[in-house]
Amino acid sequence: MTRIEAFPLRPLRNGAGLVALALLLTACAGGRSTPAPIEERDVDAEVRAPAKAESAGVQVYPLKNPAVAELTSQADRAEQSGNYDQAAILLERALRIQPRDPELLQHMAEVQVQKQDYAQALSFATRSFDIGPRVGEICARNWRTIGLAREQLGDNAGAREASGRADQCMVTKPQGL
Amino acid sequence: MANKKTSGTRKKTGKKTASKHGSTGTTRKARRPGRKAAPAKKRPGLLARLWRWGLLAIGLGLGLLIPWTLWLNHVVVAEFEGRKWDLPSRVYARPLSLYSGLRLSPGALQRELDAAGYRRVDNPDDPGEFSSAGGRFEIHRRQFRFDDGVQEALRFRVSVADGQVTGLASPAGGAELGLVRLDPAEIASIYPLHEEDRSLVSLADVPELLVTGLQAVEDRQFKHHYGVDPRGIARAMWANLRAGGAVQGGSTLTQQLVKNFYLSNERTLPRKINEALMALLLEWHYDKADILEAYLNEVFLGQQGNLAIHGFARGSEYYFGQPLDTLQPDQVALLVGLVRGASYYNPRRNPERALERRNRVLDVFAETGLLAADEAARWKARPLGVTDTPGFGRNRYAAFVDLVRDQLQRDYREDDLRSEGLRIFTTLAPSAQAAAEDAVSRGLDDLGSRGLPNDLQGALVLADVDSGEVRALVGDRYPNRRGFNRALNARRQVGSVIKPLVYLLALEHPQSYSWLTRIEDEPISLVQPDGSRWTPDNYDKQSHGEVSLLEALTRSYNQATVRLGMQIGVNHLVTRLQRLGIEHPVPAVPSTFLGAVELTPLEVTQLYQSIAAGGYSVPLRAVTAVQTPAGETLNRYPLRLTPQARRDAIAVLNYGLTRVVTDGTASALPALVGAEGMAGKTGTTNERRDSWFVGYTRDLVGVAWVGLDDNRPAGVTGANAAMRVWAGLFRQLPVDPVSFDLPEGASWRWVDPVANTLSEEGCDGAIQMPFVAGSEPATAVSCGGRYESEEEKSFWRKWFDKD
Repeated sequence: MTRIEAFPLRPLRNGAGLVALALLLTACAGGRSTPAPIEERDVDAEVRAPAKAESAGVQVYPLKNPAVAELTSQADRAEQSGNYDQAAILLERALRIQPRDPELLQHMAEVQVQKQDYAQALSFATRSFDIGPRVGEICARNWRTIGLAREQLGDNAGAREASGRADQCMVTKPQGL
Repeated sequence: MANKKTSGTRKKTGKKTASKHGSTGTTRKARRPGRKAAPAKKRPGLLARLWRWGLLAIGLGLGLLIPWTLWLNHVVVAEFEGRKWDLPSRVYARPLSLYSGLRLSPGALQRELDAAGYRRVDNPDDPGEFSSAGGRFEIHRRQFRFDDGVQEALRFRVSVADGQVTGLASPAGGAELGLVRLDPAEIASIYPLHEEDRSLVSLADVPELLVTGLQAVEDRQFKHHYGVDPRGIARAMWANLRAGGAVQGGSTLTQQLVKNFYLSNERTLPRKINEALMALLLEWHYDKADILEAYLNEVFLGQQGNLAIHGFARGSEYYFGQPLDTLQPDQVALLVGLVRGASYYNPRRNPERALERRNRVLDVFAETGLLAADEAARWKARPLGVTDTPGFGRNRYAAFVDLVRDQLQRDYREDDLRSEGLRIFTTLAPSAQAAAEDAVSRGLDDLGSRGLPNDLQGALVLADVDSGEVRALVGDRYPNRRGFNRALNARRQVGSVIKPLVYLLALEHPQSYSWLTRIEDEPISLVQPDGSRWTPDNYDKQSHGEVSLLEALTRSYNQATVRLGMQIGVNHLVTRLQRLGIEHPVPAVPSTFLGAVELTPLEVTQLYQSIAAGGYSVPLRAVTAVQTPAGETLNRYPLRLTPQARRDAIAVLNYGLTRVVTDGTASALPALVGAEGMAGKTGTTNERRDSWFVGYTRDLVGVAWVGLDDNRPAGVTGANAAMRVWAGLFRQLPVDPVSFDLPEGASWRWVDPVANTLSEEGCDGAIQMPFVAGSEPATAVSCGGRYESEEEKSFWRKWFDKD
C-alpha cells in the first residue's frame, strides 16, 4: 500500500469515506484486524505483497499527472470499500488521460481480478507489461496477475510459465531496452 | 416496461392544434340532447303540456347527465391513473475533463462551452456562465448527475496557453485544482413520435418560489377550491366586460390541466361545461399535490419547429440551459409568465413583451409577499438571460447519433429509446466534431476549386486510439443534412489502405521477412477464380525491380505487394480481416491484396484502431453508459481490450507506416498539418473512384473517404483528396507523435539497409529500425563496409538519412 502514501489524501466528506480512510490507515500501519474479503485477498496476497517483497531497493515511479493521481486515489478508496465497479470506472477515466501508463494499466488489471473478469485482467496486465519497464515490482505484479488469470481461465501451463516470468522480473534485465 | 399512454401524450403538435382522441367522440355525444323529442298524440291543455314537456326534459337531462358524468368520471380516472408521459431519451457528449497539461486551444474550449450551452458574461455568478479574456477563462460549472454520481456546481478558473491548460484553480487566487470535469453538452434527444419534449420533475424538486408564484399568478384559490373557482370566474367576467373582450381567464390550475390533458382547445360552451365537470371530478379523486405535479409537467411552454416543449423542467433547460432547481427568481418569473401564452411571450422572438410580462409577474410576487419589494425591483433590473439558442439542437449531431442508435439497437428497443427518458452518455467531443465537419465541407469545397468534381462527397471518422471511443463522425459534406450516412453505410473499395495488413502478415514470419527483405516489383499475371487473367499495374505504370518491403509499402507498389501476398496466401488475409472485426464476407481472390474489398469508413477505422494501439483491439464505441431518468445505470460499455497475437510485428508495422508519411505517398502530410510524427496510408481505387486516407497520431486515429455517390471516376487519389480532408481535421487537433512502445520480441537495431546487414551506430549509412526478433539481418558489417556503387548509396541516403 505504499503507492497511496505518495498522494495526499483529500478531505473525505462522508462516513463511508472515513471508514475507507480508517481502513487505509490500518493497512498502512501494517495491522489489518479483520480478514479481507476473498476477492481482495487474491490481489493483495497473490499479486501486490509478493511483488513488493521481492523487489529490492527503491522503486521509482514517474511523477504522475495530478488529475490521474486524484482519480487513482479515489479508485483506491473505492477498492478499499469493496466497490470494484466504481474503482474500474475511475481507473477508466484516468486511462483516458494517460492511456499508456503501465502503473494505471496494472492497477486496472488488479481491479479486474477483483471483479473476477480474468480475461480483462489478463489483457490489462499484458498491456502493462508490453509498455512497462519489464523489470522490478511492476513486472512482478504483471506476471503474477497474468498467472492468476491464466489459472482461473484454465491455462495451467501458461500459469506456471507466468510464475517463472514473475521470478525473472527481479533478476534478469530484459533484452532490447 | 409498461407503455400505457395517456391520450394527452398523443397530441401531434402540442397545444396549438391538439386534438383529443377520448373527447372527440364525447363531444359529439354532447350535442345530441334535446334534438329529438317524441311527437304528441293529442292536444292536452297548455299547463299539462308544459308539465309533460318539463318532465321529459328533466328525465332526458338526468338520463343523459348521469351517464355522461359517469363516463367523464371514467375518462378522468383512467387517464390520470394511467398517465405516463413518453419521455425522450437525452444524449450527452463526453464530458470535458480539464487538468494541467491537457492539450487544448482556447478556441476548442470556447467551442466546448458553446456546445454545452454556456453563456458568456462579465461575471459568472450563476451556473452555466463563463467569462473569458485572452486565454483565461472563469467557468461556473453546472450541477450534473453522471453515471458515477452527482457532481456539484463549481466556479473555477482555467488558463490556456501554448495549446495546453496551464493552470486550474478556484477563483480569487484559491487552491489549485487537480481535475475539473465539466457537465457534458446535451447533443440530441430521441423524441417520441408525437414530437413532445419534456423532462419530468417531481413536486418535491420544484423550487418553492415556482410553486407558490405559479399559484399567485394563475390561481390564488388553488388550495381551497374544488376544481372550479366561482369567484375567479366572476372576477374574470367583470374584467372582460370592462375591457369589452376576453382578456382574463377564470380557469383554475385544475381546469387548465384538464384542458391540456383531456380536451381540445375550442372555446364552446359544452367544452367549458365538460372542463368544469372534469375539474370537479379530478379534484374529487386526487389531492392537490398530484394535480399540481401533473400540471407542472404538462404545461405548454414553447414550440421549437415541430417540437412542443412541455413542463417547467424542460422549459428551464430550453430557455436557460439550466436545471430547474438552479433558477433565480427572475428566471422563475419568466417561466411562470409564459403559462399565459408561450408563443405570444416567446422571449427569444418577442423579448420586449417577455420582459414586460416577466416584470409584471415579479410585481405579483412582490404584491403577494413572495419577494420583498426591493428584491423584486432588483430582479426586474436584470436582463432576460435567455440563451440565444437552445443548447440542444435537433439535427446538429445527427450523423453521430446514427452511430449511437446502431450501438444501442443491440440492447434497447426503438420504442424504449423514444419513451423511457433514458440518459445516454456518449463519447462525442463537440470541439472535434466541429473541426471534422469543417474539414469535410471546407476540404471538399477546396477540392472543387482545384478542378475536382463539385459534387464530391466525403466521410470522416475520428476515434481515440486506446479506448476506441468515437470522438467525431461526419457522413455528408453538408453535416446538418439528414440522409445517407456515408461514414456508417457507404461500402466502398478500399484500395491500398488494405496493404499494411499484407505486410503485417509477412512481418509475423520473422524467419522470412523484415522491412529489409527484398521483393520483386515486376509485372505479374494471375488467373482469377472466374478464369480471367489479372495483371495489376503500378500507379505510375512502372515496375521498380528489386525493392525492400519497406519501400514497396511506403511507395505503395502494387506488383510487389501482390507478389508478397501470393507468398503469404490470400486466405490468411481474409481470415485476418475477419478476426479484426469485418463481419461480412471478403472475396478470397488476389485482387483483395490491392483492396478490391468494400468497407465502410467506420470498418476501416476499426481495422486501424488495433494497429495504432499496438495490437490491442477495442470495439469502437459511441456509448459508454445508459441510465434511467432516476439515475440507475442500466448498461455500461466499459473499456475492454483484446490483445492480438504478434504485437511485435504490429509495432514494426507502425514504424513502416510512419515512413509512409516521412518518405512515401503521404510525404506532403506534415506540411499540410504542420506537425510531425504521424503514421498513415493512402488509398486510391481503379479509375480514381475512391480516395482514402487513414492516419493516426499517438492518441487519435482518423479515416477520411472522398468520392462520388454514384461511383463514377472522380479524379481523386488518396493523397490529393482524402489526405487533404484528414489534414484539415488534424490541423485543428493536438498532434502527439506516434510512440513506438516495442513489446517483448521486437527491438531497435542499427542496420545498413543497403547491404541488409547489421551495422553500428555512427557507421556510414547506418540507420536504426525495429525488427521482430529473428528477422534481423544475419550478417554484420563494421564501419569499414562499403556500398557497391555511389549511385546506390545516394539512393538509400535519400531514403534513410532523413535526420
